[in-house]
Amino acid sequence: MSDLAIPTLQTEARRERSAIGSLRLVQTACILVIALVIVSPLFMLLIASLKDDRFQILADMGSFRAFWVSNPRLSNFAEVSNLSGELAFGRYLLNSLFILGCTVGAGLIVNSMAGFVLAWGTLRGRALVLSLVIALYVIPQESIIMPLVIMVSRAGMTDTFAVQIVPWVASPLYIFLFYQFFAQLPKELFEAAEMDGASVFRIYRSIFLPLSLPALATVSILMGIESWNQYLWPILVTQTDYARPIAVAIATFFGQDSIYWDRAMAASVLMMIPILALYLAFQRWFVSSFVGSAVKG
Amino acid sequence: MGNRLLSFLMASVALGGLAEAKTVIHVMHQGDPGWVSTYGEVAKRFEAANPDVDIELIYAPHDAYNEKFSAAVMSKQLPDVMELDAPFLANYVWSGYLQPIKPLIDQDILDDMTESNVAQGTYPVDKELYAVGLTDSSVVLYGNRKYLEAIGARIPKGVDDAWTREEFEGYLEKLSKLEGVKWPIDTFRGYGIKTEWITYAYGPILQSAGCDLIDRKTWKSVGTLDSDPCVDALTMMQKWVKNGWVVPQSSGTNQFFAEGHPAALALGGHWFYAEAAASMKDDIVVMPLPKFGPKGASPNGTWIWGITTASEHPEIAGKFVSFMLKDKALRNYAKEDSAYPGLKSFAADSPLYANGGPMAVAFEQASKTAIARPPHPAYPIITSAFMGAVDEIFNGGDVKAALTAAAEKIDEDIEENDGYPPFDEQQ
Repeated sequence: MSDLAIPTLQTEARRERSAIGSLRLVQTACILVIALVIVSPLFMLLIASLKDDRFQILADMGSFRAFWVSNPRLSNFAEVSNLSGELAFGRYLLNSLFILGCTVGAGLIVNSMAGFVLAWGTLRGRALVLSLVIALYVIPQESIIMPLVIMVSRAGMTDTFAVQIVPWVASPLYIFLFYQFFAQLPKELFEAAEMDGASVFRIYRSIFLPLSLPALATVSILMGIESWNQYLWPILVTQTDYARPIAVAIATFFGQDSIYWDRAMAASVLMMIPILALYLAFQRWFVSSFVGSAVKG
Repeated sequence: MGNRLLSFLMASVALGGLAEAKTVIHVMHQGDPGWVSTYGEVAKRFEAANPDVDIELIYAPHDAYNEKFSAAVMSKQLPDVMELDAPFLANYVWSGYLQPIKPLIDQDILDDMTESNVAQGTYPVDKELYAVGLTDSSVVLYGNRKYLEAIGARIPKGVDDAWTREEFEGYLEKLSKLEGVKWPIDTFRGYGIKTEWITYAYGPILQSAGCDLIDRKTWKSVGTLDSDPCVDALTMMQKWVKNGWVVPQSSGTNQFFAEGHPAALALGGHWFYAEAAASMKDDIVVMPLPKFGPKGASPNGTWIWGITTASEHPEIAGKFVSFMLKDKALRNYAKEDSAYPGLKSFAADSPLYANGGPMAVAFEQASKTAIARPPHPAYPIITSAFMGAVDEIFNGGDVKAALTAAAEKIDEDIEENDGYPPFDEQQ
């Protein structure tokens, strides 16, 4: 009986291994297909940015020639990297980087402080404030954009960097993200520091903030993407090249009558690089933050 | 040292005073990179010729121009000079944003305007001119010579010789069976409904069929947009879509000249010629729009220049507009861009549109069949309602129901605004 059972077990083990192997193969194939779907538009973008004939790019779209360049040129990149002139794309890119840096930097400080106070502060009615913050999150940006335009214009802030930074520094979503993160940290940490005579600000700065790298990374990336992709707001509140970001400049290539695919693609590639770098720099903590959130529910 | 510092400060104050003494003219415009650079250079030349004036250009992307304009209105920051899409002129004048431009523009420019250019800049109530442009626009029927020869199609010689509806539909059917043709026609559905394309390009099909988006005497849409000729015209277009004869929206706007030339005809704007001819060379044929009913019809109107009522220096603003329209470099750029002439002198200097030129038929349409889009303050609603209806119809909706709903929406808006006086008195 046992002699018979051994080969059966081995067969089953082989079957199981084979099933696992097949499953892995299917998984790998699925991942490859998904990766291809995600990567192919980016690859097409890169290839098109190396072609210097906008009509050819348009004609190639929809065929496999969109993924091939026989005579790659960097002339499009040269044209969208100038720092002066009527369309100083290099300048727009620097503007965007400055706006991104200030928004994310100020946003991390303001939102984390607000989140910390809501989680550990002694303010009366914290629960109510938190509910209001969450309620604010459901209001779409577009619905308040025109009143906001009037406000900033009356404050004399139009056509400045500040007008593109200040309104977006505090965000209900990021306050809530920080609140959630801080609230999950052990109470003992706060109490021990308090007993040692640390002020609330000191506890925030020296203990809680260094522990919140995943939250900081998540907010940096999300806020960075949001700031980087701002389009309508800068159009409405800027008049000249002085503080305009790259997203608005790229729209120049999509004219009424024709689209300048060559330069639009090169500018898009340049526009992608900083946000990709931001993601790569913070991805370890970003992923761990998401995994942590999932595990903790 | 102290004296030097004092002198420096005094000089700075004096220079600052001089800088402040300059008159600043704000000019809001749209356009692609070439136009943006060209306007910038024109502004510099104007400033060099008028050292006491500063031209501040405010660029807004084409797709977000209306939003930018709304923001400027709400924040009371209207520019002195603004570029505007011609069919929106009536709305802007009625709202009090634009002022009559005739006294502010050089007489030689006014005398140089084509009839269609005057029409696109004129407000129908007081018949005053509120905007002027160097260019105008039109839509023609482009054809692939090889395919047309293969089906033995007649090539029209001019506007009077345009295809009839029967001929046109017959050719579509033949082309649909021809090897190599994936779609008989590209009507540029790829432009989507965010642009003016549907009203601009398909409106003339209704007008040619004997109806319109709105009755231009009573300013009522019910009974006109949902009349039998309009229902018939859009049923015809819906049939083209159902038969698979039209390039779908998802296939973009390059199927006429893409590899293998999958679309045989293209109902395209004058600007399409440059990109199509660059790829197809002699294989491209430019034809007038077909006659779908009792008369021929073609669109007109483009981005033109107006001076706002907010301008504190309208004379200088007018001087800048005149300077710009005469600027040689700007005209040269417009010519390279195959811009459609709105000034006679510019037309005479544009071989593309001159007699015998490849786009001559497009220019011929301006004087023979061009019909401006409804010059009414409710135009923004008229165009959005019509575009929504066409979208619904192309997606298989009931033609009569969609057009009636659009017509009712237009009439409701007019009623809600008490007929947009004095348009309600124009019967």
